Amino acid sequence: MAAVKYISREKLPEWLKALAAERRLLVPVEEGGAVVFRAYDPAKAPVFGSDATAPPKGSVFPASKELFSYTYGKEGEDAKPTLTLDPKTTAEPTVVFGSKPCGARGFLIFDRVYMGKKFPDPYYIAAREATVFVTMACDTVENTCFCHWVGSGPADPAGSDLLLTPVAGGWLVEAVSAKGEPLLASPALTDGAAKAAEAEEVKAKTRAALGEAPDISTSKEALLARFDDMDFWRDQSDKCISCGACTYLCPTCYCFSITDEGSGMSGKRLRSWDACMHFQFTLEASGHNPRPTKAHRLKNRVGHKFSYYPTLHDGLIACCGCGRCVKSCPVSVDIREIVQNAVAKAKA
Amino acid sequence: MPVLTGKELRIVGFLCNWCSYGGADTAGVGRFNQPTDLRIIRVPCSGRIDPLFIAKTLINGADGVLVSGCHPRDCHYAEGNFYARRRLEVLKRFLPILGIDPGRFDYTWVSASEGQRWQKVVTAFTEQIHTLGPAPRFDAVAPELLAKVAGAISQGGNRVAA
Amino acid sequence: MSRLEELKTRIKEALPGLECVIGWQKGYDALHNTPLFMRSAEDVDKLEWGALNVHNPAVYLPTMAGKKVGVVVKGCDSRSVVELLQENLINRDNIVIFAAGCDGVVDLTKVKAKLAAAGTGAGVVTAVSADGKTVSVTAGGKTVAMPMAEVAADKCLRCQYPNAVLADTFVGTPAPQPTPVPSANADLDALDAMSVPDRMAFWRYHMDRCIRCYACRNACPMCVCRDHCIAQSREPHWLSQDDSVTEKLMFQVVHAMHLAGRCTECGECQRACPMDIPVLALKKHLNRTIHDLFDYQAGVDAAAIPPLLQFKTEEVNIKERSW
Repeated sequence: MAAVKYISREKLPEWLKALAAERRLLVPVEEGGAVVFRAYDPAKAPVFGSDATAPPKGSVFPASKELFSYTYGKEGEDAKPTLTLDPKTTAEPTVVFGSKPCGARGFLIFDRVYMGKKFPDPYYIAAREATVFVTMACDTVENTCFCHWVGSGPADPAGSDLLLTPVAGGWLVEAVSAKGEPLLASPALTDGAAKAAEAEEVKAKTRAALGEAPDISTSKEALLARFDDMDFWRDQSDKCISCGACTYLCPTCYCFSITDEGSGMSGKRLRSWDACMHFQFTLEASGHNPRPTKAHRLKNRVGHKFSYYPTLHDGLIACCGCGRCVKSCPVSVDIREIVQNAVAKAKA
Repeated sequence: MPVLTGKELRIVGFLCNWCSYGGADTAGVGRFNQPTDLRIIRVPCSGRIDPLFIAKTLINGADGVLVSGCHPRDCHYAEGNFYARRRLEVLKRFLPILGIDPGRFDYTWVSASEGQRWQKVVTAFTEQIHTLGPAPRFDAVAPELLAKVAGAISQGGNRVAA
Repeated sequence: MSRLEELKTRIKEALPGLECVIGWQKGYDALHNTPLFMRSAEDVDKLEWGALNVHNPAVYLPTMAGKKVGVVVKGCDSRSVVELLQENLINRDNIVIFAAGCDGVVDLTKVKAKLAAAGTGAGVVTAVSADGKTVSVTAGGKTVAMPMAEVAADKCLRCQYPNAVLADTFVGTPAPQPTPVPSANADLDALDAMSVPDRMAFWRYHMDRCIRCYACRNACPMCVCRDHCIAQSREPHWLSQDDSVTEKLMFQVVHAMHLAGRCTECGECQRACPMDIPVLALKKHLNRTIHDLFDYQAGVDAAAIPPLLQFKTEEVNIKERSW
């Protein structure tokens, strides 16, 4: 592992400019009150304080991605129609700078789905491999933070390539992966050995501020036990308005829909985010819908994250604990409460 | 390349089957000179026109939209155009808040016998659209303009500091 | 007996005859209340009344058709109930309305801005107290006192109906009607002052961050198509799955036009938006047009016919173009 480095606040723009010169650099910026990841613009200061409103999910898994474009052609009366496909598998080299550990960690959940042996996804793999995550460890915790419930923490390096920890005057920079190391070459960075102890203190203090996590280790079985208990799910989902805010803002929600958007003889095939909170998610061509109510749909969202996914993937919970689904929910549906209710009910 | 490329603008007309479509036909049969920018979509009644037809047409890049139906009290279905008049007037006043020039949309009444009135309406509306020029596109707004409006309502309460 | 206690008593009395009563309770932290579905006396004890009851519970009513339910409303929420009645979307016999005078609710976006300006944040709030004039929020060890006039929702600053326009049970003394504050329409005023091309840039700028979650739609009590909204239909194909500003804005136009003459300006669309997009301005503008053209306001008279469902052979305020 490379030596630890240090970047001062003053030198940060220099580093960012150098990074942006070579590839797409995404940083969190304020836009109309929300904080979103956008291409770096030296004129606009990035916002590193609180966690971004929307996670950097779109950097690797865009809200709508063109898989290929197609054109039909026909030469002459008797000729067979031709079809030309133009696949779009290449990905732009990208650095995502300034996400919190939870935002970067979300892709670990994606990796098992899209980079598995069974169904490797060329679009995802290309984008994932072309993207480097420079993550910032947290120095404050919010009421909605619960990364420590799901086996993570405010300085969790998993899923990141470089980890920055806020210290007086700047950040300590640690390489986490071989992919991150080349980024340390910038002259803006100086040796950070002297700051290492301070950074460890920050990490320990932030972790301590989160307190003890409740025991949800039985969530897999507890949620499965509630599968047919629709009264339970009615009570949990009463206030849910069935929008997709929780899903689209979730760093781990990876479901998609595929549609062809064409006009005349040409068009494109799109892969776009889908949300299990929407009626259309499971609507079948016959008109039948196995998840007809919001209670069925919320059951799926919670069950998938805390039961079905961990069952398939070595106990890994498909939630990074960022709390966006709680914070951004128009009616404050709290996934932590639902999981705890199920766990408590299983114990009773 | 068609000879009119670059000279013509894209204007969409929604015409009711019973009066205005007939009026346009009368103008054609009478060989009245008309500009050729307008593409007509025939609908059963002006009351069939969802204002969203017009909004979608304009948002997706049409340079102008013209709606024409039967004169009030002459609707084939008795009252379709009375409902239409309310909806279309609401839409006309709504367009400018979206950033679409209200001059890009008009509605009027032309009966099946009014070939000359149709010629007049089409000519006047097409001239009006040509004066406005090609419609600006939402996906092609200049970055300077975006920067200018970014803070427009910062004092209006709709803001979370980061 | 306080308003809240009296409300609880009256709800408990009515509860045996009802499927549930919808109100509010404390949420995951001191700053957030959350909708409450009361099914037992125990649930009723969780009921809250005050400045943090920001949600409009009328949104749940059309989904509970066929069941007899109670709903606790603020003045603005009651207008949504009335509008639903006007359109026969709910059955009056199945709805029991509980209400009390409302002193206004906060706009959490404004509270967040105040906290940020004070060097703390909405994510670390530990305590909130409100006395009608001032909201005191303790966050990160700091207590920030905010005058209600500066953090109240815009709709409260121009509220005409602090007391429910329709109620079966009204408890306590009616609240006084507040004097309208000019800043209540700052968003619309700012748009009015812009040139038409600037407005296009404005929507381009703000709609760009839309994530198409449809929270604006699902939080809207008048959006009763719910699972069958044309925005998600493939046939007819109103919107594509493209991540483009035109698709996103087109949906806002769909929402606004479908609300023409029906919107009670409860502001739920904008409040629900996780990306803080000022979508309410479109509806405000539309409501002003409806008022100018038809001298009409939605949701105040259960017997009134919405303006776009009727006509006059001679329209007084529509001046048609002469060619």
